[in-house]
Amino acid sequence: MALQEVLQQKHFKGFIETVPAYASLAIFYDMVKVTANYPIHTTVYDFVRDFTEQSLNALVGFSSQHTKPPISLPVHYNGEDLIGLANLHHLSAEEVIKIHTGKIVRVFMIGFLPGFAYMGKVDDRIATARLVSPRAVVKPGSVGIAGSQTGIYPLASPGGWQLIGQTPIKIFDSKKETPCFFQAGDLVQFVAISKKEFDQLNEY
Amino acid sequence: MSIKIIRAGILATVQDSGRTGFRSIGVGSAGAMDLFAMKASNYLCGNDGNEAVIEINFPAPEILFEQDAIVSITGADFSANINDNPVLPWRTLLVKKGSVLKFKRPVSGARAYLAVSGGWQSGKWLGSYSTHLKLSVGGHSGRALQKDDTISFPAANNFFGNKILPAFIPGAELEKVYQPANNIRCLPAPEYAMLTESNKRKLEQLQFVISHQSDRMGYRLKNEPLMPEQPFELLSSAVDMGTIQLLPDGTTIILMADHQTTGGYPRVATVIKTDLPKLAQASPGQALNFTMICLAEAETCYTNMQRSLEEIKQACHLNLKMILSLD
Repeated sequence: MALQEVLQQKHFKGFIETVPAYASLAIFYDMVKVTANYPIHTTVYDFVRDFTEQSLNALVGFSSQHTKPPISLPVHYNGEDLIGLANLHHLSAEEVIKIHTGKIVRVFMIGFLPGFAYMGKVDDRIATARLVSPRAVVKPGSVGIAGSQTGIYPLASPGGWQLIGQTPIKIFDSKKETPCFFQAGDLVQFVAISKKEFDQLNEY
Repeated sequence: MSIKIIRAGILATVQDSGRTGFRSIGVGSAGAMDLFAMKASNYLCGNDGNEAVIEINFPAPEILFEQDAIVSITGADFSANINDNPVLPWRTLLVKKGSVLKFKRPVSGARAYLAVSGGWQSGKWLGSYSTHLKLSVGGHSGRALQKDDTISFPAANNFFGNKILPAFIPGAELEKVYQPANNIRCLPAPEYAMLTESNKRKLEQLQFVISHQSDRMGYRLKNEPLMPEQPFELLSSAVDMGTIQLLPDGTTIILMADHQTTGGYPRVATVIKTDLPKLAQASPGQALNFTMICLAEAETCYTNMQRSLEEIKQACHLNLKMILSLD
């Protein structure tokens, strides 16, 4: 995450973009532009790798600008799998909600669908394997759990995550200048809301 | 100044060279499947490489030109006809107002590109005209073209009075890009090392047949199963067009232009960018052979292709200078 921040601030000519994931950072670059701007001794890939390694080394003592406070995200806990998931862990639905809202999670990466944020880790007491047979359609805004990850479906999509609730907030809106509600690295705190509050806030 | 779709095709979408800078929020590049043909079609109309074009699958739409236009058709050969007269692909075409463009039958390739001088005017989203089918944004209302859609383009100069030299792409250039059609060169991808030695050999020896479960998102391939050294659990990570993923049943998939930005299946190889146009023009049923090459070679191939494209651009623009006042 820190490497991504450094590369965005100070990158090489020909740099296009990065894709952060759990344990990796992919760097996309325009080979022709890199070649036109730097003396390439072996391959362009080697140049980019060396540049990235130097950026990594420069990270010692780097302090991230990413110090946003946690984002509060309202969730109405009414998911189709909430009761089943609670039973599986010998908990009540209220306890599952308390545990899910009780721990601040981090956005590890965004992928799968536009705006789908993989967040974690959820408390071990509610970590649950994906459904054996995925649903053909999951409603947008659905909040789910898969293993120790939690996430929100930004669009209607097939999906196998255990659904525990629904957020009224549009987490991906192509009409907005910044379409995605989250960025990788963000901290998120879920806040339980009632059906009435959900209806008042509903952006879908 | 516009065209009108008088009969819809199966999937005709507005595309450019794709969207960059938004993969980190899960928005992939989309864009033309065959970037060589897409750029060439633009150059043949005197455009820069990145104007919006129409990517056409067969059955193709029938198109009425409501104004004079300078166009070109590249990529797949679907036996294009204007007013029932066959026209040549890969060259500048002058189309008169009232003409109808039809594509009669698929001769070769899978995707044709129709460019117009000045570019098709369509919706830009996050810096690109490419249609994002899943989000229904970009291009023409974020969807495939339908009957009665009209698409505008800038007025062409009064070119019919002028003597012009239509530009064309020499067959030798096309040969370099598209032949041998079944031989796809690859680089080892991050999880290549997870394959057993015998499976690494198989990757280059076996035939991989493109199945009917193939679209702009990816091509599912039928192959004798490959297996990793050990059962695997992978954390999701970035993928790209050309990434070959190994599925749990041992078959494979090649990700194409509308792929997701991340994936959790092992990435065993990556098709080199230079060979993506071949893949874009391949159809279900076609068998592919993979050859692993080294990074330096892949970079040389790409540099050469970009150089060819630059030469094509210069040559086309020189021919069209008189009518397009490109200076």
